[in-house]
This record gives sequence, structure tokens and C-alpha cells, in this order.
Amino acid sequence: MTPRMRSVGLRAGSVIILLLVWWIAAKLMHDPDALPGPAAIAVTIAEDFVDPGPTGHSAIFHVALTLGRIFTAFAVSMLVGIAIGLTMGRSRLVEGALLAVIPLMLTIPTILMVFLAVMWFGFSEAGGLVAVMAVVTPYVAVNIFEGAKAMDKSLIDMGVAFKAQQPLLIRKVYLPQLTPYVFSAFRYAFGMTWKIVALAETFGLKFGIGYMFFFWFEQFNMVQVMAWIVMFVVLMLVLEYGVFARLESRAFAWRGSIAH
Amino acid sequence: MARVRSQPTVRPGPMLSTAITVRNLTKKFSKPGTETQFTVLDDISLSVEEGKFVSIVGPSGCGKSTLLNIIAGIEPYDSGSVRVSPRRGTPMHEPRIGYVFQSPRLLNWLTAAGNIEFALEAQNVPGRQWQERVTRQLEMVGLGGQERNYPLKLSGGMRQRVAIARALAIEPDILLMDEPFSHLDAITARKMRFDLMEILSKAKPTILFVTHDLSEAVFLSDRIYMMKTNPARIFKEVAVDFSRPRKPEDPGLLDMEKNLVQEFFSVLEGTAR
Repeated sequence: MTPRMRSVGLRAGSVIILLLVWWIAAKLMHDPDALPGPAAIAVTIAEDFVDPGPTGHSAIFHVALTLGRIFTAFAVSMLVGIAIGLTMGRSRLVEGALLAVIPLMLTIPTILMVFLAVMWFGFSEAGGLVAVMAVVTPYVAVNIFEGAKAMDKSLIDMGVAFKAQQPLLIRKVYLPQLTPYVFSAFRYAFGMTWKIVALAETFGLKFGIGYMFFFWFEQFNMVQVMAWIVMFVVLMLVLEYGVFARLESRAFAWRGSIAH
Repeated sequence: MARVRSQPTVRPGPMLSTAITVRNLTKKFSKPGTETQFTVLDDISLSVEEGKFVSIVGPSGCGKSTLLNIIAGIEPYDSGSVRVSPRRGTPMHEPRIGYVFQSPRLLNWLTAAGNIEFALEAQNVPGRQWQERVTRQLEMVGLGGQERNYPLKLSGGMRQRVAIARALAIEPDILLMDEPFSHLDAITARKMRFDLMEILSKAKPTILFVTHDLSEAVFLSDRIYMMKTNPARIFKEVAVDFSRPRKPEDPGLLDMEKNLVQEFFSVLEGTAR
């Protein structure tokens, strides 16, 4: 058995056990309104994808909307964070100024950031975007800054000794050294982004998965609340393991095998 | 003190048979935050004739690596002159300098071939020549067929061979080597020295080799400069007139090494007092 097969097996096993515990608990409780079983949830999810439901839109619309919000906020905060981090790495002045401010930003609890952003920008798309940026950008910037600082000077000297020009140095020497830092920031940033977008949707954005949690929560409809939570979790897991983990193992092929 | 130049002067002249000429080179470092300066290189003069293997031997911290960096054009200096000339009988060009460092300094995210191609691209070698040069150089250093392997899959000795192939691939006019075998175990280092001699008998670049190991210098070189610290100066120049191929156990070489070691110690003790 290869290590990869074992890790996939292990992960599948734990998911099956979780489903099993859930199923048994639902059976024992015998109250589908308080704790519906996995099967009931699966059926509800399927229905939500077909029926327009109370909002007049099926789940496809809400999922697409939430994904759009997540990717926009994620891309903007990553790009801004990377730009700030690199600037910090290049300029002592910027480094000094931002290193004093960033820890402050990082101490403010995420949920307060969401409130603040909503108070300033109202229940608009901009509010959600600002909330994500306020939380994620400082973290990304610090990570990229660490990467810029950890750059191996001896490799740059090697490049210069062989008369490599700046574009070649950037492509083959600087960027590959930053890649691990970009990926570690990437993982965290993505995790934070979807949590904040879900929160912002719950509190005020029109439509989207978070909006639907809150809608069904107000109706005290446990089956629907859980259905939407499960949809969300499955979606994020697919992105995390199906897309990002794959990208990462391709980017680091030169390290040989890396464990996930 | 004003920096005089940061790049070696390029003055290709067909009448010259010296590949590297260093005259009265001085470099000082100022300690950060203070006015005190200390002299890294003090009035260094040396020359390397085309096609020769010349070594600089000295204790660690005597500024040998700094000297190589200055010749390579990656460190500035304060006064004196450095001239590097392209090989005679080749079309006029900027002198090409291959550099082999103490550690391989490979780009771990590129394959062995990719690392060599990095140097070729840096030197603007046309892309259609890359494949042939990569294959030829890897074969020459005994790594035929390792093109697609990543450095982290190679042993320490193999990585240094890739670094040598990278330096040779640009068909250098001069090859700078900074203690290239000092990170390797004794057996691998010995094998690498033999192989280097073999490789150089085919490639024939001019070599300036830095080491702290006198037996290595005696075995490899046509000529040796001996350097000391405090102040960092060259105090002796010795020709090594033994025919090639050489054997490290040759009594003549061993004798010479013994004498030079003694001389070194007397000079080093002199400066310590």
C-alpha cells in the first residue's frame, strides 16, 4: 500500500465513521426536527438544487453567488497582501511602519471586523470585500514579507555571477523561493475568506449560502439549516483537497514526495 | 573612501597572454555604525596566464573568496585594477566567467539540465545550442542521463558536479573555483580532483582556484599564491613544475607540500605575535 493510498483511505474512513455516528445519533434521538439523519439531509439538498425555494432561486444560484464572492475577495486580498509584503521586503521604511500596525490588525477579532465593515459600508458587496481584506491582507503581507526576508542571498549572487539579468533572476531565483510562502498564505487566506463571506452573508448580504442558513434558522427549520451547512462544507473540502492540494503538490514536485 | 570601480575592466587584447591581471587591489570594509575600517585585501597583485591552473592558498577568513567575487564582478573594491581578458583566437566578446562555489548553489526547483540552462540563458547562449551543451557537459562530469533529476535527489558530490557542468557549459574564458571540494567527504573529494584534472585536459579553461588545503593546491596547480591574514596579503608565489598526470602520493609533491606547510606556519606565527 502506498503512503498516498493509505492517507486517502484514512481520510475516507474517518468521514464514513462520522456519518455513521451521525446516523446512529439521529436514530437514537428519534426526532427528525432536532437532529435529522444523513439520508434526510441528502434528500433535502437534492430538492434544494431542483426547487427554486422561498427565495425564488435554486441552490445553484446561491452556491454560485457565494463562490463568486469568495473568489473575488480572496483574489483581491491575496494580490494586495503579496504587493504589500514584497514592498515591505524591499523598503526599510515601509517595513518599519507596517510591522507596527499589522499586529494591531491581527488582534481585532474577525467577527468585529465583519461588524465594522458592515457598519461602514452597509449590507453591500463592498462591505463583505472590505471585511475579508481587513482580516486576510495583513496576514498574507506578513507571510510574503517573511519569504522576502528569507531569500537566499548566495543564490542571487550565483545568478549575478553568471550575469543573469533581472527578469531571469525574478523568474528562476526570486519567485520559486517565494512559492512556499505564497502557498502557506494561500491556504490560510482561503480558509479565512470563506468563513468571513459566510458570516457576512449571514448578517446582511442578500442571498448566498450564509443568507440561506439564517433564513432557515429564523424559520427554525433544522433540516434545511443542516442541509445548507453540509453543502457548504462539502464545497470547501472539494476546493481545498481537489484543487489547492493538487496545485501545491505540482508546484513542489522538485521536493520529491510531500505528505498531505 | 570612494569606490573606484565595481566591474573589472574589459580590455581584450590579442597581444596579451594573461587571462587575469590584478594590480595593487585593495578592499576595505567599514564596520557598520563606526568609522573604523578594516582591510580585507591589502595591495594584492597577481596574474594568471591563459590556460593555466593557479591556486590561492590561505587560512579561512583571509579574503580569498572576496578576491574571487571581485574578479567575478559581483563585489566592488576600493583601489587597484582588475582585468579579465577573453581567450585569444576567439571573436571579440565580453570575457565569460564560470564560477564554482563552495556549496553547489543549485536552484533546487530546476532539474540538473534546468540549472545548466539557467547559466546558458543568463549568458544569452542561443536556445538551439542548449540541449547539446547540457548533454555534453553532464557527460563530461560523469552525470550522463541525469538531465531530468532534481538536485535534491542527487548526492553532495553529484550536485557539485552539476555546478561544475554549469560553469563549464558557458564555455568560460576563465573558471573561478572557491574551495569546491571542501564540503565533500575525503574520498569523494579525492575522486573529484582526479576527475577535474581529466575534465580540464579536455575543456582547457584558465583556472583560478581558492583553497585552504595545500596538498590539494600542490596536486592541482601550475602555480600557487600563498596568502596570510592581518593584513591580508600575498606573501609568496610558487611554481609547481611537476609533469601531468600527477599522483597525490608522488614523493616530490609530498615534499613540496611539507615545505610549504612549514613556511605557512612560520609566517602565520609571525603575524600572530
